[in-house]
Amino acid sequence: MTLRRLATLTTILLGTVGSMQAGLPDWSGQWENVGATPDATGGFNQSLEQVLRTLQWGPPNKPEVQARVDRIVAMEHKRLEAIARGEDPGGAARACTFGYPAIMLDSPLMFEVLPTPKETTLIFSSREIRHVYTNGRQHTPKDELWATPWGDSIGHWEGQTLVIDTIAVKSAFGSSESEGVSVVAFGDVEGEQTITMLSPQAHFIERIRMPDKDHLEDQMTVIDPTNLTAPWHMNRTYERVAHIHRMVYEDCEGEERNPIVNGHFTLAPPPGPAKSRQ
Amino acid sequence: MSRLLNYAVIVLAATLPASSLLAHHSFAMFDQSKSVELRGTVKSFRWSNPHVFIQLLVTKEGSDDEEWSIEMTSPEHLARVGWKPGTLKPGDKVTLVIHPMRDGVKGGQYLSGTGPGGPLIGSPQPSQGEGK
Repeated sequence: MTLRRLATLTTILLGTVGSMQAGLPDWSGQWENVGATPDATGGFNQSLEQVLRTLQWGPPNKPEVQARVDRIVAMEHKRLEAIARGEDPGGAARACTFGYPAIMLDSPLMFEVLPTPKETTLIFSSREIRHVYTNGRQHTPKDELWATPWGDSIGHWEGQTLVIDTIAVKSAFGSSESEGVSVVAFGDVEGEQTITMLSPQAHFIERIRMPDKDHLEDQMTVIDPTNLTAPWHMNRTYERVAHIHRMVYEDCEGEERNPIVNGHFTLAPPPGPAKSRQ
Repeated sequence: MSRLLNYAVIVLAATLPASSLLAHHSFAMFDQSKSVELRGTVKSFRWSNPHVFIQLLVTKEGSDDEEWSIEMTSPEHLARVGWKPGTLKPGDKVTLVIHPMRDGVKGGQYLSGTGPGGPLIGSPQPSQGEGK
């Protein structure tokens, strides 16, 4: 064994021992939403109905919020109809950010969870990171706080359950903090989706635990008196990624694979090697 | 169908003015109502972000080969179900089932396939039937 390998092994062992001494669970490995295992087309294996049932979807929207949601869904249907005709309904934007809470609830991404005594870090294949501070600190003071797509999270351990408290969330694609937070659920067919809107004051409480060695579970409660008539409870379960045992990342750079030409989408496969291998 | 792509579309619609759209992340250019079977030879297997492409040379009797661009999902997604950068190699004889482009361009969205070793990863096994 080389010195470098010995040093690496020692570091890993010390880290593991450190976590064990702190009484923290071992959640190592890569995780994905149950039902979000991709196929070669990028598809998923759950219908919208299954996803909604799994999530216990049913936001208790206030009437004015539901009216806004209905308008959004109707607008989206028109947009999807235009896309289905191969038309470009508007200017393109670029983003590779899911943001919270979507990244926990209905994303196709895989992630790792790294519990340490003072912080648990969740790292996603979109290169998004959630920092959950468990060192007893309070939320960031208001005069230092601004909304971000991942919010401001603190947490504590109740036995082997990580309890996370998150505030100051804004939509990952939003242009304004005042627009609040969108929560979306998808099925396995393009256009099969639903959405609700939370206010910028939405407050999220999660309880993450490992019910068995191959699953993690996230019980999420959304408290948002501005938009909801009551707290909204959701569940999500994650399973181990089967075929890859390291993190690899989505890369949203250079996304010109489907440029719009004369108002219609077309294909632009990446350039091949300088010299053909044939 | 890609939920990752779906996601981007509706979230933008929900939060930005109606003129905004993550257009490059839609599969709408493919005709989801049609499935086409292509037999050919792999020219290249482009393990690239954001999506992987198979460049396929389709033999046409009495004329030159046609080159088709077959779009798959991201390397991250493919790796999670067992694909690797070398799963397909130039010269491999394959049969691919795709959703073709709506506008007649020689391209499509990958659905399933059969390669030198049998069904490609994630494709129906022979006993299950291709169904396409």
